[in-house]
Amino acid sequence: MSTSVRRTELPLTVRTPTHEPRNRRRRSSPGRAPATKLFLILPSVVILILTNAYPIAYAAFQALHNGSLISPGEFVGVDNFAKVLADPAFWRAAGFTAVFAVAGVFGSWIIGIAIALLLRTRIPAKGLLKTILLLPWVVPIVVSAMSWNWLIGTSSSPVPTIIHALGFGDAIFLSDPLGAQITVCLFEIWVNFPFMMLMMSAALSSVDESIYEAAKIDGASARQQFRYMTLPIIAKPTYISWVLMAIFCVNDFPTVYLLTHGGPVGATNTLVVLAYKTVFQNFQTGPGVAIAFLMTLALAIVAVLLFRQIRKSTSQ
Amino acid sequence: MTTPAPVHTSKKEEAMKNLLPPTAMSRRGFLALTGAVTLTASVSACAVGGGNASASGGSTVKFWDMPWGDKNYSDAAQSLAQAYKPGDGMPGVSYQQVNWDGFNQTFSSAIASNTGPAVSTGGGFQAFQFAKQGAISYADNLIDSFKKDGTYDDFLPHTLDAMKTSDGYVGIPWNLDVQVFWYRKSILDQIGATPPQSWDDVLDVAKKASAKGYVGFGISGGSGNYGPMAVLSLMINNGGGLFNSNGDLDIVNDRNAEAVDFLTELVRQGVVDPGSVSMKDDDLTTLWTNKKVALGFQSPAFNNVVGDEKDVLVTDPLKSHRGEVGGLYYVNNIMMYKNTPSQAGSEAFTSYYIKNMKTLWQKGVMQGLPALKSITELPEFKANAQNTAVVEKWQPICKTTAAQSSALTAKLATIDGGQAMTDFCQTVLAGKTPSKTILTKLESDIKAAIS
Repeated sequence: MSTSVRRTELPLTVRTPTHEPRNRRRRSSPGRAPATKLFLILPSVVILILTNAYPIAYAAFQALHNGSLISPGEFVGVDNFAKVLADPAFWRAAGFTAVFAVAGVFGSWIIGIAIALLLRTRIPAKGLLKTILLLPWVVPIVVSAMSWNWLIGTSSSPVPTIIHALGFGDAIFLSDPLGAQITVCLFEIWVNFPFMMLMMSAALSSVDESIYEAAKIDGASARQQFRYMTLPIIAKPTYISWVLMAIFCVNDFPTVYLLTHGGPVGATNTLVVLAYKTVFQNFQTGPGVAIAFLMTLALAIVAVLLFRQIRKSTSQ
Repeated sequence: MTTPAPVHTSKKEEAMKNLLPPTAMSRRGFLALTGAVTLTASVSACAVGGGNASASGGSTVKFWDMPWGDKNYSDAAQSLAQAYKPGDGMPGVSYQQVNWDGFNQTFSSAIASNTGPAVSTGGGFQAFQFAKQGAISYADNLIDSFKKDGTYDDFLPHTLDAMKTSDGYVGIPWNLDVQVFWYRKSILDQIGATPPQSWDDVLDVAKKASAKGYVGFGISGGSGNYGPMAVLSLMINNGGGLFNSNGDLDIVNDRNAEAVDFLTELVRQGVVDPGSVSMKDDDLTTLWTNKKVALGFQSPAFNNVVGDEKDVLVTDPLKSHRGEVGGLYYVNNIMMYKNTPSQAGSEAFTSYYIKNMKTLWQKGVMQGLPALKSITELPEFKANAQNTAVVEKWQPICKTTAAQSSALTAKLATIDGGQAMTDFCQTVLAGKTPSKTILTKLESDIKAAIS
């Protein structure tokens, strides 16, 4: 038994010294080192500014004007924001965006971590399984959306046909508002769970198996090991993956647009789709860009909250 | 089982700190990165630089064209454009095809960055939209030259008038998209029905076809514009429309309500595919091609599109419950832009294209009707008997999206293919909402969109 205890402590004590000198080196690095690093980062920063700063600044300009993509129009201050915030369609889209993001983040995370844990066990053809499981993430989203459309899009698609043949009536997933909402959320989970699986696999791979052995010896059940050991250990990468996935989901234009175009009757409009439609279908550039800015603000707040959780998880 | 001793807690925290690579990113840095990534992704998509990019084309007139016909259209149109021989000192022409998907974005972005075309085809109201934004070069000089050489008199009635605004002609008509009613003869023969002549007939035939497992009335309310165009066709058929004769919005009226009620009745009788609300236009075309649909609105030469020239046929204009006839059509046009290496060059090419476009119909690659009478009289055009029926029976009784007004304006570009009409069509096809409620919502949505 004592052996097990030593095994438990081994990774904790062995790894610590390896970090200390590195930290010391980083703190005592000469003044030229940061400049060198800055110099190395500079090209990327310059390119980023050139390619993104101007469009963002111009978008801010457009959000405060009532022009079009071609002509700037008159300065209207925050009228576009007021107009957007008074529009029920905006709040419907905001609500569905929240649902879509929560479903996408937690749905893909639950499936991702479950599979990551499963892949830590002894199962045959693990490499092949991993490769297959990565496919939804690797395949271009346009191809995936077209495939789903082919499977469920019309009453004569394979899945509705089978359901009808089994006597369950007409199952037209994308024609019913609730059905369409559930479908796009499921699609989002399906496309993104491999990313979560990879993140969680990477996090779990750094955990030494011996601490689980020690826990087993102490009588911890599998559920308790997961609750009191696995989850706290992978907390930081989990929060980071949540932040990234939240950004992915909120900004995910192709999933909704390719599957439903935001329909039926706007039921699956997310903010990014609504912004696109406002600009390019209704030709209301100012309000459309205002939607994008409000979306960014909301996402930044979510990111702040999650980042606080990351800090908490590392400082406890 | 007791909770593991606190030692585990401290150990696991210690372990986590050591096993996971330390992050070198500060909170501020992370937030900055998050903000940058998000803002870039969401805002850049909507932002188009208004900078001074190089002027269009240099020494060539850039001609952008849409896919107006079957798979051979693009090659035929490109050949026609490339056969243009510019006069002395005039620029040549380059041809580029633009997809319908996201075409508004494509044109708007290009025009905003001064990289757009000098001449183009496009959406039926695109010229009005860009004229309002100051990007269109009016075609009055070209119209004057057509008056002198006789081309002016060759245009079908009302087509040139449809292009006229208080500032001038925004474009030159070249093809007409008439929404006509089609039926599949073999299905009607099988159910012992004759081609419908009225709304009552449509319901009767569609019910019989549905009883045999066919889609009685084909309509697609998902992506694309077929669905909204079909609903608007029925409204105009009944003497209604989106505007009154003064050009003011007039949507909540009995005529429109009767049209919506008729369509709702088709839905409730089960003659419309239950997936129509989300059905895409291509899916509907596939259903027609697979001989699953009995009736429905489509564009001219649709029988060529589905490869069934003898079995997919045009009905006579339908009589509504009020005994009215009418339909919807679009005057598609060639427009010229201010951003051109030579306005004279743009006009010379446009004139050439209009006067030589008959080859597109002679080759049988076009889906729309020609805007020139002389082309409708060509034997190659008349070879498809349905074309003649459309020209003679449907085109004269059709009106534009502006009905019951005749003045086309920039706001029609927002309405046609816009979110308001899509939501309207999908609500009708859901079959659960009273017609006046749907129409009231449509009016308020359109008001918001064009305000």
